[in-house]
Amino acid sequence: MTIAAPQPKANMGQPVPRYDAVPKVTGQAQYAADMPLANPAYAYLVTSAIAKGRIDGFDLSDARKVRGLIDIVTHENAEKLKEPKLFGNGGYMSTTIQPLASAEIAQDGQIIAVVLADTFEAAREAAHRVKVSYTAATPTASFDSPGTTSARAKGQLSQFKEDPKVGDFADAFARADVKLVASYETPTQHHNPMELFATSCVWSGGQLTIYEPSQYVHGLKNGVAEQLGIDADKVRVINPYVGGAFGSKGSVTPRTAIIAAIARKLNRPVKLVATRDQGFTIATYRAETRHVIQIGASHDGRLVALRHEGAEISSRADPYAVGGTKITTRLYACLNVDSMVSIVRADRNTPGFMRSPPEVPYLFALESAMDELAFKLDMDPIELRRVNDTMNEPIGNKPYTSRSLMACFDEGARAFGWSKRSMRPRTVTDGDWLVGHGCAATCYPTQMAPAAARVRLQRDGRARVEIAGHEIGNGAYTVIAQAAADRLGIPYEKVTVAIGDSDLPPAPVAGGSNSTASTCSAVEMVCGQVRQRLFKALMPNEGLVDKTKETVGMGQTPVTQAAQSGQPLDREKAFDALGISIVEEYGEWKPEGAPLDSFRAMHDGKMRMVGGSEMKDRIAYAFGAEFVEVRINRWTHEIRVPRLVGAFACGRIMNPRTARSQLMGGLIWGMSSALLEATEIDERTARYVNDNLADYLLPVNADAPGVEVILLPEQDDRIDPAGVKGLGELGNVGTNAAVCNAIFNATGQRIRKLPVRLENIEA
Amino acid sequence: MSDTNGSPSTSGFNRRNFMAAAAGSAVAAPLTARAADAPMDLAQTQDPSLPVDVTLRVNGQSKPLTIDARTTVLDALREHLGLTGSKKGCDHGQCGACTVLIEGRRVVSCLTLAVAAQDKEITTIEGLSSGGNLHPMQQAFIEQDAFQCGYCTPGQIMSAVACVNEGHAGSDEDIREYMSGNICRCAAYPNIVAAVKQAAPQIQKG
Repeated sequence: MTIAAPQPKANMGQPVPRYDAVPKVTGQAQYAADMPLANPAYAYLVTSAIAKGRIDGFDLSDARKVRGLIDIVTHENAEKLKEPKLFGNGGYMSTTIQPLASAEIAQDGQIIAVVLADTFEAAREAAHRVKVSYTAATPTASFDSPGTTSARAKGQLSQFKEDPKVGDFADAFARADVKLVASYETPTQHHNPMELFATSCVWSGGQLTIYEPSQYVHGLKNGVAEQLGIDADKVRVINPYVGGAFGSKGSVTPRTAIIAAIARKLNRPVKLVATRDQGFTIATYRAETRHVIQIGASHDGRLVALRHEGAEISSRADPYAVGGTKITTRLYACLNVDSMVSIVRADRNTPGFMRSPPEVPYLFALESAMDELAFKLDMDPIELRRVNDTMNEPIGNKPYTSRSLMACFDEGARAFGWSKRSMRPRTVTDGDWLVGHGCAATCYPTQMAPAAARVRLQRDGRARVEIAGHEIGNGAYTVIAQAAADRLGIPYEKVTVAIGDSDLPPAPVAGGSNSTASTCSAVEMVCGQVRQRLFKALMPNEGLVDKTKETVGMGQTPVTQAAQSGQPLDREKAFDALGISIVEEYGEWKPEGAPLDSFRAMHDGKMRMVGGSEMKDRIAYAFGAEFVEVRINRWTHEIRVPRLVGAFACGRIMNPRTARSQLMGGLIWGMSSALLEATEIDERTARYVNDNLADYLLPVNADAPGVEVILLPEQDDRIDPAGVKGLGELGNVGTNAAVCNAIFNATGQRIRKLPVRLENIEA
Repeated sequence: MSDTNGSPSTSGFNRRNFMAAAAGSAVAAPLTARAADAPMDLAQTQDPSLPVDVTLRVNGQSKPLTIDARTTVLDALREHLGLTGSKKGCDHGQCGACTVLIEGRRVVSCLTLAVAAQDKEITTIEGLSSGGNLHPMQQAFIEQDAFQCGYCTPGQIMSAVACVNEGHAGSDEDIREYMSGNICRCAAYPNIVAAVKQAAPQIQKG
């Protein structure tokens, strides 16, 4: 065992190396833009230079002179596509701003032309020669710009269900011993996965094949079919590997149907690799948010009143919101809670999911406020959490299926050396460096969605699993293979996994950290069906009992019992009894509480996710505690993070190696979010300024601190059958607050606006 | 300084004259106009969009190509040679996903023109291992779980091999610093450092 492959504890699988490791280290893994195409036309996008207004016309004469030019598609000659519907409102799309549909410009960087040429170089040159004349209107950039409109999220967006409240906040707050009112801000951020937004479309006899990095191949397939007005069976999406996504590739962006329509018209494969800067505007982003937290507490630290008001930026066209009050109102015991989320519209592209969409901004606010309150009360911040820990969420008094928050704080504190921390700020120095320690809670909803799988087992002990899951770096291949190997009683190396193809049985979006829970629950169920058939052959007499019991609908039969349990299977004997050499089973699994139309929706590429705070009789979350050491240079105010420690409890861990890596990456993401990442917006033009990887600050290896990940054993039988809580988005939630809390400890300065850069340090 | 045809430059020599002359030269012509309608009159400016003949040496093999003169090594590998292991992450030399070795040095192939890399030995991720055996750096990346999505990985590995060969793998601090030209958005950085540390002694021995 190495640090990278930790020793499994209770309820953890083996830390086997990644299923897709060899293709990934040898360059053989084929991402979307790597797929070979026969004589493709290269597409290059032209995007708008204004954020609001209209196109008066194009001068294409110069562009048309370019050797190898095939066509230039603008709103004047583009195929009309069907009206788009927003993902969060029951549709497929990331935005309802439909480029090339009219002369109207609704956002900076909107696609306004697609240039097609025989080579990438010619397409790029011609695109740069396209001259556009605009009539520009004055755009609204963000919160403080003139022209914003604001309204409550509730009622605008079906994904946003409620403004949780309970008790009488105003009265309780007025009478509280200790009061805290604080405002917080988080910036615009872009996912910037390393893989660019590529799309290749190939038509063959009325069939469309799309090679595009997607977190949801069935959504993309159905969404593009809908936009093109063709049968979904005519569309296939293939992407065996996704080069990072973080939410940016979950819903359908307008580019895909545009490229598909052009490929159909040209009768030639079309390949688009959008540039890095175009990626800032042709897909989604994490919108900037603002928060006001009001907390009333008693002298002993118990919360008596809590109010969280959030405001989020969205586009003029779409009411997108992440709405994190669903958890910030439920995280701690408090009898009087109020909340409200508003959507503020500006002339921007529509935002979308980015790793832990609600939790990152909303827990930054709450977990910073908890630290402020602890300081006010002269309490250790961990003890403040302990006093307010609860097994029942306060809004609906529903029990947490499991909650190891304080165990995580205690384990993390031990590993970090928290007991040696000075409570008083600005008391620890090391030469020219002010040293500070901070912590925060992290959490993420446990979510599951319907999934289907096909499993084939051969007499020789080899198996193949088919499920349209997604390998986005989450270790999907690996954990699916492990789940099947475990249930079928065969070695991991004997399992072949096919994912990332919409011709396979549908799996949900690889988002909301539901992937492992959903796909492994489905795969384990179908492996159970395979076992059922084999046990039936092995137990011919009980098989008859089975039949009677099935007929009269009685409880579990001996065969079912054997199949469902961990009872070892004499595979060769069973196959001999069956008289065949391959058993293949298909099954559809849905989580408890999923709506009636779940399976139909699943095949239509529509999500029916359940879990988190939205279950009837319980609430399911994964928890963790994060600890940060910051060092701030007394003279330059340079901020460094030498140490990050995270302790997490996430139910069953399929693979401690991939789990640790995801959480480690999450912690570094969180540090980056706190200290580096912000998309700068030009207030006058509502355009993104730093739309490249040099100016949009991301951590490099020299910025990456020592990271320690502690996985706590946890068993939860009240979630999905696999017993898995998602962890892909757990790591980067608490870090933002933990960093700022550590900065306060180092300097005495409370910073409530992210990211924290050296110019923000006054010390 | 003007670069239009016929305008005198201070040296009496300008880029287009040079390119046109070189195209007609009998000695080691680096750029040869290929289109059937290519003007053979040396007095005329060569159309820079005309394809040129280029020979690249990739992973020990000679690869003749007819490509747009503006084609980068990265696009030549990916779009013309079917070697898609090297990745495009920014096309601006900012991310390192396209890193290859040219004459043993790590280079961002998206900022290197193919015509400028002629007759130089280019090594890509596809050429790192031979005969089914993984290179020690590839093996170390697997064992240390030094990647998640895998997209930056070919660039990281090429960079890591060069980092060791440059003598910059002596300490964790050195590795972190000299591996900082390659962005990993999944942030596998601590595992990358561990992988470089693991592979370094084997590479230095070999």
